[in-house]
Amino acid sequence: MTGVAITGSAVYLPGADRPGPPAYPPELARKVLGRKRLLFKEPATRLALCAVHRMLGLPDGEPGHDRPLEPRTAVVASSNLGNVETVADIVRTVRADGWRAVSPLAAPNASSNVLASAVAGWFRFGGPNFLVCSGATGGLDAVAVAVRLLRARRADRVVVVGAEPADEVATALHERRTAQSGPLRAGAACLSLTAATRGVPILRVSSPVDAPESPPDAGFGDSYGAHGIIAAALAVQDLPADPVRVVCGDPADGWRALELERRSVG
Amino acid sequence: MPALIAASAARTCLGDEQETYAALLAGRSGLGPLRHIDPDSVHVRYGYHVPDADPETPLRPSAWLAECAGRALKQSGVDPRRQRVLAVVGTGLRELRAVEREVGGVRTEQLHFAGAVQSVAPIAEVCTLAGACSAGGHALALGQDAIELGDADAVLVAAADGMTESMLAMMGRVVDEPTDALRPFDTGRTGVLLGEGAAALVLVPESSGSPLARLVATGLSCDAGHETAPDVDGICRAMRDAFDRADRHPADVGLVIAHGTGTALNDPAEATALHRIHGASAPLATALKGAIGHTSGSSALHGVAVAIECLRQGRIPPVVGLREPIEEARSVRLVRGTPVPTPRKLVQVNAFGFGGVNAVTLLETA
Repeated sequence: MTGVAITGSAVYLPGADRPGPPAYPPELARKVLGRKRLLFKEPATRLALCAVHRMLGLPDGEPGHDRPLEPRTAVVASSNLGNVETVADIVRTVRADGWRAVSPLAAPNASSNVLASAVAGWFRFGGPNFLVCSGATGGLDAVAVAVRLLRARRADRVVVVGAEPADEVATALHERRTAQSGPLRAGAACLSLTAATRGVPILRVSSPVDAPESPPDAGFGDSYGAHGIIAAALAVQDLPADPVRVVCGDPADGWRALELERRSVG
Repeated sequence: MPALIAASAARTCLGDEQETYAALLAGRSGLGPLRHIDPDSVHVRYGYHVPDADPETPLRPSAWLAECAGRALKQSGVDPRRQRVLAVVGTGLRELRAVEREVGGVRTEQLHFAGAVQSVAPIAEVCTLAGACSAGGHALALGQDAIELGDADAVLVAAADGMTESMLAMMGRVVDEPTDALRPFDTGRTGVLLGEGAAALVLVPESSGSPLARLVATGLSCDAGHETAPDVDGICRAMRDAFDRADRHPADVGLVIAHGTGTALNDPAEATALHRIHGASAPLATALKGAIGHTSGSSALHGVAVAIECLRQGRIPPVVGLREPIEEARSVRLVRGTPVPTPRKLVQVNAFGFGGVNAVTLLETA
């Protein structure tokens, strides 16, 4: 394997002034994903699904879930606050009205990996699947792990997707973060990584390294566990001739960096 | 470069890794009344608690993880100050109990486990991943990859989980009557109960010292279908992935440490998958959750910790809680009543989780 190619990317930031089709908020995700199967899908999961839907080039409103199984496509997600509101809601319901009042349809959301497995279930990606939840470094930790999955030949393609919500519980928790660089910003982004092959123009991804630098500001607010992936996807979509360095992290969780470079292999 | 397991430490309701193994051999269970959270409100009356301080002590999973990681690193002789050491931590429920108790009572960086690892070792790169009930198996796969690719001199692979009120309520919601005991592969099983604990392993390259076991491979798959119901095809893909990665054959397996959650759906699906993959060779099989409960993200590494003792001490503990095996389990020889000798073959450890995430690990005597 001569490197890793980024063969697709999408940024999905509701409320941001960006070119291309609008990024609807989670409650309007049906405009992108179609009407079916959205019940009990959390806001962060909806944002992640929208990002991947756009990356795959599917038309808005066309369901993405009738696709054949792709057993060699892995999903590595990153999110820290995706399911905290659901967990707080379930507990509030149980304490007020008892166990009968909770819906079993919310069960998958009690498990922290739900965002990753929901993306796999929706688009039928059957390869390795997990959610990185390592705090501020999560986005680029996810990219690093995805690169290793490809090098270890566990997948032919890895969909790396980051998403954070900005609901009441997530926002309250984020305010307790030791070193946030601003209010929590809801958003998602994704990258499609594959092993680079000869003759194909690729973006070369170097392994993340420590980067004890000033706080990153990609101009879109603080999306915490999604930050590194959003910054990388933005960089990919507007990549200059010279290599670009993407950074994420904070003083509490440490730092990760990624080099992106436009080059042709072989 | 293949990976070796240099050290292993575990914490369950039955004690540390040695105490747990001894209790399993004796057929003991750590089952007891739910010690925190109102049982009637969640429709769950029993659990498998680690018998330490007040169960509402904040951040208990982090404390168990730090204890196991510290012991495993010391046992391994690995020095993170002088060697390139990474850490991968798997979890199902993170420190969400702290959020449930009081949203304002926890800092976000305490939801993951970098702080717990770094409280016992100067390891800069700690990746916490959520992978439901197979999280530890996923962490193990990533750890082995890092060793085999030469990215690290050693990898600390760990897992930790406590109980959350939200998960208990979801378990209680789907049973007619609260489960009184977890009975893996039993015709009269009535559902799953949660356990607690942590586990840690230290992986090193093949060339290193006197290891506990050789980590042969971990296969991974995602059902990519239903979010909570297991899928036989998805489970089989993970098993085949493990054998393909290792260039080994199902007939090389002498013992399966099954996932065995005691639920209506998991046990027949797992047994059917085992029949499909191992039908001809009929390996021995045991399951731990009747004794230690479902320890969520730690489940896979608890299985590996027991597998290591089975290989080293030569005896396989029986399935606690099993009375009459389900029909689907006919092609594995479930260990019942008293321990039996461990065959000198591969041990397979299964772990499957919410979202259809599957991890199947193979290990053997080094």
